[in-house]
Amino acid sequence: MKSLRRMSSRSRQFLNFTVTFTSVLLCLLILPTRMPGMELLGISPNWLLMWVVAWSIKRKRTIWGAACMGLVLGLLQDGMTAPYPSHAVSLMIVGALTVVLLKSWSIPADIVERDPIPIALIVFGMALLAETVMGIQFFAMGDRALMDIWMDHQRIALCSAILSSLWAPVLYFPLNRLWEMTRNLEKS
Amino acid sequence: MPIALLGLAVTAAWGVRQTQGAAMFEVYNFVTRPFQANGSGQEQLILARTQELQAQVLELETQNQKLKELLNYVSGQKKKGVVAPIIGRSADHWWQQVTLGRGSNDGIKTDFTVMGPGGLVGRVVSVTPNTSLVLLISDPTSQLGVAVTRTRHMGFLRGKGKNKAVMEFFDNVPNVKPGDVVSTSSFSQLFPASLPVGKVVSVDMNKTPAPEAMIEFSAPINSLEWAVVYPHSKETEKPDQKDSESPTSTPQEGVEKK
Repeated sequence: MKSLRRMSSRSRQFLNFTVTFTSVLLCLLILPTRMPGMELLGISPNWLLMWVVAWSIKRKRTIWGAACMGLVLGLLQDGMTAPYPSHAVSLMIVGALTVVLLKSWSIPADIVERDPIPIALIVFGMALLAETVMGIQFFAMGDRALMDIWMDHQRIALCSAILSSLWAPVLYFPLNRLWEMTRNLEKS
Repeated sequence: MPIALLGLAVTAAWGVRQTQGAAMFEVYNFVTRPFQANGSGQEQLILARTQELQAQVLELETQNQKLKELLNYVSGQKKKGVVAPIIGRSADHWWQQVTLGRGSNDGIKTDFTVMGPGGLVGRVVSVTPNTSLVLLISDPTSQLGVAVTRTRHMGFLRGKGKNKAVMEFFDNVPNVKPGDVVSTSSFSQLFPASLPVGKVVSVDMNKTPAPEAMIEFSAPINSLEWAVVYPHSKETEKPDQKDSESPTSTPQEGVEKK
């Protein structure tokens, strides 16, 4: 904290940006791995979704900003799997909806910041939603049978939601701490 | 300023998407190098290898029978494969893909066939200098023409995720029973003919519009650590097919939608 304060505003911004960028990079690199203890029925947590939720849950995020971040991460994931159907759609919806949720229900931000339960619940719901959107996209593309999509969806959505919500605090708290610190220093 | 940054981020992300994440996979390969496969699970591999050999023997026997009837058969020479470690799985949950730790530097190109101990595993869909992305045959979008080795009844195979697939027959009353070995048919354009694929687990004759069979892959797709990539392309395979097929057969199945 002290060393952070001693930094100039510019280098603090640079540090903030670097950590944000590195965290996205780490999330991307962890996607193809299936580490023991991190997988359920061959399904791993949805790290990019957690990142988007962590980003959108901050105070003062706009719907557009969150949707844009969703778009960026979605395109990155597209690059690593297959471009159609796009993951950007689901992540954009997740980002925008998280912001709307926080604003419309006016959940006090300090509760979210102290307690891992709300963040886990939000990620759980958002993971279900994201996989549903993916399922609908696959159905709209029409190259998979509806029955297959439905069976896959049940398995994927549930496993991904459980794992993501359990791992979400691991990603959220360090990132949030950094963003809070730099923001507070900007203010003072 | 934030708009410019966001714009930059979107542009960069678009770039990554257009290059099929080439940079990401290169970095991934570099970072995970210390953790890559070290050859455990030997027994399972040996068992799978035995199954592959059994399937191959059956395939060869049937082929031999056919060869005796054909006089002017020209056999294609065997191609050499590239052994590659599997360094990653699919980056999302809906696709059945693996990433191999060898790429165009080792001569791998798209459409090459990927075999594992036990049989066919998949097809290379994109390549970077040191990695290549493989679409597994267990993916629902992966469809290939297959035949029952014992009776030569044709059909096509659709992945069902994990270790299972469904084979839909062209005939209304195919001669097939559980335990039969299934291999790629000569109609398949995306894969070379007569590679072992799997074994019939159950048959549903009453299914409409065509009878279906449940297939279990002979390669242990979920626990693979190494795979062998064999050269194959749609262009070079065509003259071979003309030689080995009867003139009445038309290549029609095994067409895969992207």
